[in-house]
Parts: sequence; structure tokens; C-alpha cells
Amino acid sequence: MSLLKMQGIKKSFNGVEVLHGVDLQVEKGQVHALLGENGAGKSTLMNILTGVYVADEGNISFDGHEYTKITINESEEYGIAFVHQELNLFNDLTVYDNIFLGKEYTKGKITLDKSKMVKEAKDLFERLGVAINPTEVVANLKPSEKQLLEISKALFKNAKLIILDEPTTSLNNDEVDHLFSIINGLKAEGISFIFISHKMPEIFKISDSYTVYRNGSFIATGKIQDTDPESITKLMVGEAYSSGETYEPRQVGDTVVSLKGYSGPGFKDINLDIKKGQIIGLTGLQGAGSSELLHAMFGCLTPTSGTFTVNGKKVKPGSIHDAMKHKIALLPPNRKENSVIPDMTILENMYLAEQTLSARHLPIKKAKEKSRYAKFKAMLNIKAESEDLPILSLSGGNQQKVFIARWLNTDAEVLLFDNPTQGIDVGAKAEIYKLILKFAQEGKTIIINTLEIPELQRVADKCVVFYDGRIKKILEHDEIQETKVMLYSTNAMKEEVL
Amino acid sequence: MSKNIMKQIGKYSYVIVFLLIFLVYVITSDGLTWLGVMNIFRHSAIVGIIAFGMGLVCLTGEIDLSVGSMLALDAGFAVVVFNVTGSVFLTFLFAILFGAFAGLINGLLVGYIKMPAFIVTLSTMLIYRSFAQYFCQQMDKELIGGGSSVYKMSRDIDSYQGLYDFGNGRIATIPTVGVVLLAITALFVYLTTSTKFGKKVYAIGSNENGAKMAGINVNLVKTSVFVITGILVGLSAFLWIAMNGSCDPATTGNSNEMYAIAAVVLGGISMSGGKGRVFGIFFGALSYTVIDKIIVALKMDSLINDAIKGIILIIVIMIQIVGPQIKEKFSK
Repeated sequence: MSLLKMQGIKKSFNGVEVLHGVDLQVEKGQVHALLGENGAGKSTLMNILTGVYVADEGNISFDGHEYTKITINESEEYGIAFVHQELNLFNDLTVYDNIFLGKEYTKGKITLDKSKMVKEAKDLFERLGVAINPTEVVANLKPSEKQLLEISKALFKNAKLIILDEPTTSLNNDEVDHLFSIINGLKAEGISFIFISHKMPEIFKISDSYTVYRNGSFIATGKIQDTDPESITKLMVGEAYSSGETYEPRQVGDTVVSLKGYSGPGFKDINLDIKKGQIIGLTGLQGAGSSELLHAMFGCLTPTSGTFTVNGKKVKPGSIHDAMKHKIALLPPNRKENSVIPDMTILENMYLAEQTLSARHLPIKKAKEKSRYAKFKAMLNIKAESEDLPILSLSGGNQQKVFIARWLNTDAEVLLFDNPTQGIDVGAKAEIYKLILKFAQEGKTIIINTLEIPELQRVADKCVVFYDGRIKKILEHDEIQETKVMLYSTNAMKEEVL
Repeated sequence: MSKNIMKQIGKYSYVIVFLLIFLVYVITSDGLTWLGVMNIFRHSAIVGIIAFGMGLVCLTGEIDLSVGSMLALDAGFAVVVFNVTGSVFLTFLFAILFGAFAGLINGLLVGYIKMPAFIVTLSTMLIYRSFAQYFCQQMDKELIGGGSSVYKMSRDIDSYQGLYDFGNGRIATIPTVGVVLLAITALFVYLTTSTKFGKKVYAIGSNENGAKMAGINVNLVKTSVFVITGILVGLSAFLWIAMNGSCDPATTGNSNEMYAIAAVVLGGISMSGGKGRVFGIFFGALSYTVIDKIIVALKMDSLINDAIKGIILIIVIMIQIVGPQIKEKFSK
């Protein structure tokens, strides 16, 4: 019998129906992947399941009981736990404080029974195979440990169904493997998971079954072993998707970017020459130094030694403004944190960076800025009704295009992309990579840092693999394969062997 | 359509607040005169001008508690400069430069050393006020225009009358200081809505890290808003001595930082930064002056003044916060 059955769920916001009667069925002791582009209705459905929203129509049955609606407290009581992408932990409290918050054990009525809480937490961590010290302050934990702590919290509440929303975004590959082994262990104990992710390899590794949604409608469901990433992606994006190989070799020009003995926080002794029109992919485990390298090149980290030149001219270390004057642009990771100015309009978000270069001409010529925006809107296919709408009214993919426009607007020639497709749906990802190829065609020099090897296979001329702050290996386009990259980035393959 | 109108009204709520308060004033005062109304500008000028600097500071998400004390110190020293030089121009120049310097101290500590603005300006608030009083006691009595504990402009100097007339004069029935307030209003509305500097101020308050990654020199912009505030305090100090001919270091500018912050908040600017329009500050400052006038018209004890101002501030902010929640409930 199924643990969870949602049938014919409908939901409207302000008269607009966002869920058109969707179904979901999750079996006991299984991992069920919830698939769909951003805006497909996954989060709305999960919010209905956890009681944040009330469905307009439809039935929910969980663990043999029928419900028409669930409140937040009830869903927790029945054993449904939601581990959000942005974790809900109290960073300044200890691990066991976080687990027992609100239902602490006490000696007598007032004094906390600290040792009992610590012991129970320790027992659970041992059972899970997690090496977390219960008395550690949460702020000191690694992202992966925080994720596991959230899951542990859910287990203490006797969760039968745990919803994981993109749990692997901030984890490196070892940590993902660890997380998956824990999930597999819990599956054996009869606990079910709903797994939300955009990463196909992970979905196929961990899930037993899947359901695909598109634009608020139910599209398909089935066993993961009966399908493949290609068909799933087609189901998710509909007709729009074409998997055709987008990579074409390009004519490259003279050396533009040159790094010599470049060292700084997190990276050591980097020597790299990049030519005009080249696309170089950087990759490595989290903390391997590739992201830090891009940040240092853009001046937001200060290098300790070595030189960085653009067209033979030295770029002043640690100055974003100087980097921009040398026509360098960085599209940073974590869009919400590093790019979005939430109180501003689309237009204002676009022109902000260029205006720091032209700050001497104080007045803003709105007509001119608008015509520039119109040009980028057409070029990048930004879907927005008006440039005067708030930036937050756009989807993640369209926001990211606005930030690409922000940097193209500065006439940058060297484009650094750090994790450009984070939190973006499949359709927009493909579009962004098509654009990157187009920029290279037009003679821009491009460096992309990403952990998504399939994306590098589609665009990169070369792939630079980082390990422990150093360049481990430079792979040519034809050599870029997921397993190969993984072997180098985990230092499993020694240079001499080849 | 009506939704759109409601939205527009929401945007200009500070005008409505002002009009409501003004209406009460019209009712309570018997016989409203043109000059009486114009006097509102005169009495709003000092706090209003300072409030525009405070508005910029608040838009970056910071705060400046030192403006009241800075006003007293700046005005006091400006009196001394006037008594020594006898030159109106040098007095004006000194007031502006000294204000800029006092603001620069705040700005460097907040912008570059990255100390919390609340602590920095709380400290300078104490320092500036103390200096104003200490030097008034210690200085040669000649310099402060007499023997009392007040900085007094010497009336024997020829240019005194001209300066006093400027401070208390009118241009086309509008008090001169009110004209200055209007000019500053226009300047700051332009600065914040139509210049690149203005957008940087908003961007920093909205997402400091994002602003930095977009190439904005956050340290410099933060420092500069404190300097601008200092310059405006300098201007206010000059107007103050032109209006009053003296400066009492113990009372001049007392609580002005609180009135300026209140005008900023009443004008609809978010204290966490990034949101709100500077034009509202003008109405925020006027609203408070009108409240004073109502209390006088009703012949109430002036000690109740601050209580009424505080209550109005709470009500207005409560409506701003609760209003949208109520609207949401009804739209469901």
C-alpha cells in the first residue's frame, strides 16, 4: 500500500490556477523524484502536503488516513518533514539544541537534561554513520553536516516521509555519496523520501520512481529503471527541448588572459593562458580553488603573489573597479546573495554596474538606458513585460539573463561565469549555454566554473580540473568525460600514471 | 483600475498624513493666515534639511545619531568664526566645511573601519555635544560674544544685521530659510531619483554584497552619505545662527536626530535601507512642525508635544504595516 497518495490536487492564487488537478503517489521505503522545471508546480504541491497552503480541490491520503486538508502542525505530527533548500537551523545554537528545540528533555520541570539529549543525539548520529559532535555550534558545521542535521531532526520527530528540496546544491561529490548512503540506509528502515533536484545523474542514482510535472499539470510517472535522462528531460520541457550537440570548434585569436604563478586564498601557483574567443571550463570539488580564482581575478579577493594580465596589461590586485576597467566581468554564484538588488527594477538592476564606470556623468539618461535594455532583452530573450517591474517578479533564469545583460552592458571582453546555471530550469540552462557559445563566437574570452560536467561538454574548449588549490589536469574538449574529471578532481588519478 | 489608484495612494501616504494633520491645524487655529502657513516652512527648515542627510544615511541601511550635537558644535564654532572675522561668507564656509569634517569622521569609522553606525554616531553625539559645551566655558569670553554660557554673535559687527535679516527675511512672502528647504528638497529628490550616485545609495541598502559585486565602491558611498549629512548639518547650523543670532550648546539641536529620523520614517523610508522616496521626508518634516502649531493653537502644555509626535509616528507606521495584511485578508 502506498504511504502517500495525492489525487486531483487543484490550487489557484488570485484567480490563476497553478495546479490543474495533479496526482502524486509515494510508496513506503522508496525515494520518489519530483521532476519539473521551475514553475512546474513542485513547490506548490509540497507546500500543500506540508500544510503551508490549502488545496482548493483534491484528496490526500497519508499512512492510511484520508485528509481534505492538513495544517502545518498536523503534517509534522503525521510524520511529514520538509528539509528546505535554505536550511532552517539556528546557527548560534549547538547541534543538540537545534534537534530538541521546543521539546527538550528536563530533569524535574525546569532544568534541562543536557546529558540525555546529547546521548540520544549521539546514538542517532552513530546509527546514521554521521560524524557530528552534538555539542558543536551549528555555525561551525560544514554545509553537508547541516543537511544531515536537518534530516536527523526530522528523524527525531518520527518522520515517515522526508522531502528533500535540492539537497545536494552545496555539497561536493563525496558528501553527496555519503548523503545517498544514509538515504539508502533509512529506506531499508521503511522511511520514504521525496527528492527534488535538477541534477539528472543524482536522480538516476538515488531514486526508485519519479513523477514529472509541467506548467502545473501531471505529465508522467513511473519507475526510474524504465527510463533514461533524455526522455525525462523531454517530458519536463515538452517540445521546446532539443538535445542536439551545441558545441562547435571556433577560430581563436591571440592570448588575452595570462596568469603567472598566481596564488591567493584557496588557490596556488596558477599558470594559465587563455586566447580570444576561447571558452575554458574550470571544475573541482567545493573548495578546490576554482571559484576563488575567478573571484581574485575580478578583484573581490586579493591574490598574494603572481601576476594577472589582460592583453598584456597588469590588473591591479584586489580592485573590482580596476578589473572592470580592464573589461573583466564576473557573474557570481548565489544569485540572490551576490547579484539581485531586490528593491530595484529590472532596468536598474541591469544598468547598475555600467554606471560605476561612467559615474562622472552624474545624471541618468533613462531613454538611453531603456534602449540598451531593449537591445539586450532581444539578444538574450529576456521574458519580462516591462523593464520597470521589480527584478523579483522574474523567474530565476530570466533574472540570470538580466545579470548577464548587466555585464555585457559594461562592454566586458573577459567574461567569468561562476556557477551560472545554479537554480535555473533546464530550458533556461540550455539557452544560457547557447548564449555563451555565441559570445565566444563574437570574440569574447570566457571562463566558466561549474561542477556540472555535462554542461562543460557542451561548450568548453578545455576543462581545467582543480584539486586542493592547484591545477591538476587540463583536458581537451574531446577528453571531457564525467568519470575522468571526477578521477582527477578527487585526486584518484595520479599525473604520472598517464 | 481602482487597485492602481490604491497603489498610487499607498505610495504617497506621507502626503495624506500631512494633509490630515494640516486639516486638524486649520480647524483648531482660529483664522488661518497666509503668513502663518508660510511660517511652517521656517520652523521645518532646520530639522528638514538635516533629515535629507539622515534619509540618505538610512537608505544605505545606516543611522546617524550625532546630527543634533553636531549642529550645536558647528553653530557654536561658526559664531566664534563670525565674531573673529566679521565675515558672513567665511562663517558660511566654515560651517559647511566643519560639518563636512565632522561627518567625515563618522563616515570613515563606519565606511572603512566598518564599525556599527549606531555605536560610532552615539559616541560622536556625546563627543560633539561635550565639546560644544566645554569650549563655550573655556574660551575667551570675547570670542563667544559675552559672558554667558551661550555662543552669541556680536551685534557690534556691521554684517550682523544683514545676516540676521537674511535668517528672518522673506522672499515673496516665503521665509528665506523655507526657500532653502525647498531648494534642498528639489536637489535631493533629483539626486536620489535621477543620478547614478542615488542609485548606488539605494543598491547598497537593498543588498550590500550585491552592490559590491556590481562594482560599487561601498566604503566610499557609505562614507560620502555621512559627509553629505555633515554638510547639511553645517548648512542648518549657519541658518540657525542667522535666525537666532546665538547658539546654546546645551539645548541647540537637542533631539534633532530623533526628529530627523522620525521625519525620514514618516516619509516612508525603510530603516533597513533600500526602500522609500526622499520626497516624503519633506512632508515628514512639515508634519511635525504642524503638530507643534496645533498644540500651540489648542493652548495645550508644550510638554505634551513629544508624546503626540510619538503616538502619531506609531499610528502611521502601524497602518503601513497592518494595512497590507488587512488588504490581503479581504482579497481572499
